[in-house]
Amino acid sequence: MSHPSPEQPRQPRDPALPRPSVAQPAAPQPAAAPRPSFPPAGGEGTRGPLAGSGFAAPAPASVAVLVQVFAALKLSLLRNGLRQSSGRRAAYIASVVLVGLFAVLQLLGLIALRGHEHAAALVVTLTGVLALGWAVMPLFFPGGDETLDATRLVMLPLRPHTLIAALLTSSLIGIGPLFTLALAVGSVVAVAHGAAAAAVAVLAVALTMLVCVALARMVATANIRLLTSRKGRDLALLSGLFIAVGAQAVNLGTQKLSDAGGLGALEPAADVLRWVPPAAAVDAVWSVGDGSYGTAAAQLGLTVAALAGIVWFWQRSLSTLMTSPDSSTIQVAQERTRPTDARGPARWLPAGRTGTVMLRTLRYAWRDPKTKAGWATALGIGLLLPVVMVAQGGGSVYSACWAAGLLGMQMYNQFGQDSSAFWMVAQTIGTPRDAYLELRGRALALVLVALPYVTLVVIGAAALLGDWAAFPEVLGLSLAMLGALLATGALASARYPYSIPQDSGYKNVVPGQAGLAWISILGGMLVGALLCAPVLGLTIWLHVADHHGLLWLILPIGAAYAYAITHIGLRLAAPRTADRLPEILAAVSKG
Amino acid sequence: MASEAAHTSSGAAKQPLTDTTAVTGGTAATGAPTGAEADGRQRPAPGGAGAERPPAVRVSGLWKRFGEQVAVAGIDLELPAGQFVGLVGPNGAGKTTTLSMITGLLRPDLGQVEIAGHDVWRDPVAVKARIGVLPEGLRLFERLSGRELLAYTGRLRGLDGDEVDSRATQLLGVLDLAGAQHKLVVDYSTGMRKKIGLAAALLHNPEVLFLDEPFEGVDPVSAQTIRGVLERYTASGATVVFSSHVMELVESLCDWVAVMAGATIRAHGPLAEVRGAAPTLQDAFLELVGANRQQGHDLDWLGGAR
Repeated sequence: MSHPSPEQPRQPRDPALPRPSVAQPAAPQPAAAPRPSFPPAGGEGTRGPLAGSGFAAPAPASVAVLVQVFAALKLSLLRNGLRQSSGRRAAYIASVVLVGLFAVLQLLGLIALRGHEHAAALVVTLTGVLALGWAVMPLFFPGGDETLDATRLVMLPLRPHTLIAALLTSSLIGIGPLFTLALAVGSVVAVAHGAAAAAVAVLAVALTMLVCVALARMVATANIRLLTSRKGRDLALLSGLFIAVGAQAVNLGTQKLSDAGGLGALEPAADVLRWVPPAAAVDAVWSVGDGSYGTAAAQLGLTVAALAGIVWFWQRSLSTLMTSPDSSTIQVAQERTRPTDARGPARWLPAGRTGTVMLRTLRYAWRDPKTKAGWATALGIGLLLPVVMVAQGGGSVYSACWAAGLLGMQMYNQFGQDSSAFWMVAQTIGTPRDAYLELRGRALALVLVALPYVTLVVIGAAALLGDWAAFPEVLGLSLAMLGALLATGALASARYPYSIPQDSGYKNVVPGQAGLAWISILGGMLVGALLCAPVLGLTIWLHVADHHGLLWLILPIGAAYAYAITHIGLRLAAPRTADRLPEILAAVSKG
Repeated sequence: MASEAAHTSSGAAKQPLTDTTAVTGGTAATGAPTGAEADGRQRPAPGGAGAERPPAVRVSGLWKRFGEQVAVAGIDLELPAGQFVGLVGPNGAGKTTTLSMITGLLRPDLGQVEIAGHDVWRDPVAVKARIGVLPEGLRLFERLSGRELLAYTGRLRGLDGDEVDSRATQLLGVLDLAGAQHKLVVDYSTGMRKKIGLAAALLHNPEVLFLDEPFEGVDPVSAQTIRGVLERYTASGATVVFSSHVMELVESLCDWVAVMAGATIRAHGPLAEVRGAAPTLQDAFLELVGANRQQGHDLDWLGGAR
């Protein structure tokens, strides 16, 4: 959780995992974690059967011993978070402190809500969201918790039920569980009224914690094949996008709720969630305080049943996982065979280098997770922004220009998007003409998507606002902007290429090239904005001078301007690209 | 590329250049480069075919420095045409850097490279059409399937689309990739990647083929396949230049070898000449790079009384 990098499993401390007895001396042991009896117990329990001398298969490690081993292992892993390079240590400590602060604030806020009319609805919803978070977390941060990958324990002589107890315990240790505990405690404090309710509250907190943790474990175990495969890693790369969208949703949600009486809006959702574990357990606390003991008993029973079900399913998939062959030894299912290359819409692309480059660019937009995230962000936000602005009242058709701007940005760092595979392109570029065709193909692929998309967004915005008069000028401006960004993007791609790390969902620049990336994007956007100035100035002048009848002219002028400026940009970028092929390759191969 | 250079052993002292050249001593590259070249030219090639042809690759005064590290310290070399040429050397010797500079993927600090009579940096069009490259440590366009990758590469090289597809089909068949042709390259094994890379490098029927560690991490079956294709390719008069540190392989495959260590060429010439009196190329190589010192007594406890 603290380091959600997909590369995590390759960290040096990783070999400690299958050998808890070795991990022991490696980590400095403060007084809290190990009892003096621990190292011998752990050593015998895990190493004995493997050594084979004298130990004629006594019962494999008992539950209590194993729980201790795993708890100590988890604590060592957490401590090892501090034993990294200073930069990562700082990030680690900062994230711990931030999460801690956030948890305390949540706790205080929830306690302050005690007695609020809609407190029950809020805490029930909150618990539901929390459980959902735990359920999806392992899918997006597969490297987050190294003890989540049960396949690392296959070689140890462990029985599933002992393992379950131990894994569950180790899952309860960490920053995430601490945060959950703060939230759960705050939730029950907010709704517990009376001694009986307080007693149930303790039970509810325990149940909530266990359900959340077991849910995460179950999802991780059931999907471990997916998570350790290439598709799983691709999914993890999209997590940045997931977070961005999630943050927007939370932002809009809190905005809605902070309106007067907004918390009441939660009631319908809460009515459903109060029967969904683990939110049911939290609501049981309220029910007890309310005097409806029957409801509370049913809700608690439901949660216990759900917990049992989750654990049962988890144990089952764990047994299957640990007794069946590893995914690397299973032949990947044969993909459906496709006919030859010139199938489908690809046929309509122009022949020669142009069409070849376009096809590759479009395929990458769909298949490469990093490129896909970039395109999805541009397309999604370009569409969302006008809609959100209209929804919030102060919309203008001009907000549709965002779609053109964001798509135009995809032209930046074209070769960085290739990563070191750029050598294949470099090997086929001999003349500025080749470089021109290469860049033009990439620009055309963008235009192929951007042109209809921008037109649709502008039409949509005009329709939403009923301002059809603005349609031609906004579309003309959008096109001019797209052209300016394509032109500057081509130049920036040639002049300021930088590597995009391929293995992280968050980083888009490798260390040491941040300056280059800033120059490329910020400088490019500034110049792009300047290049738009003539069309923008003309639009403003037509408005100010009251020539509203001539505003439609912006559309053809903008289109022609976009065409011309893109052409000039590509022409200027081509010789620079052809001259700098080795330098570009070196710059984009660092990721 | 840079990483191999970083491991180069020669760059430790403040002025490593003189050291390495001094070590090289009387062997080929340093003393009189022109003389050595002329020497190499006049040797009759064992294959017979290459004797009269101009060299496939002519390298003179090639230098590359990464910061403090000298990765390639003044290489002069002529690789004969129509032969299997092996560039051997320990890890970090500068093989990858040298091949990258010869193939135009890395700009040298100093020096000239000519391939089939064309300067790599002044006449890239003529050179790029004549060479095929399989670099080490650089990606392919991995989100394309094997067939798509070949179709892309061939069309990018300006070949006719139908011709590309028919060549791709044949290459995929010969290299045992037909079953995986619709799988994405990212899901390929190391051997399959090397094979699809080789197919992409051969697609335009180059005159000279440069392969950086083509057998590294490749299983014996794939290695044999690659070998078969390369042998057929050189039989037609084409040149294959490949780097490796597996001496047995080089010895069994190459007609002509260049030994590289510490950023310089320590010896070059027909295989038999470089091997000299040593029983195997391995022994000759260890002698050349000065790595065959006795060290048994350091570990005399090993295997002793327990």
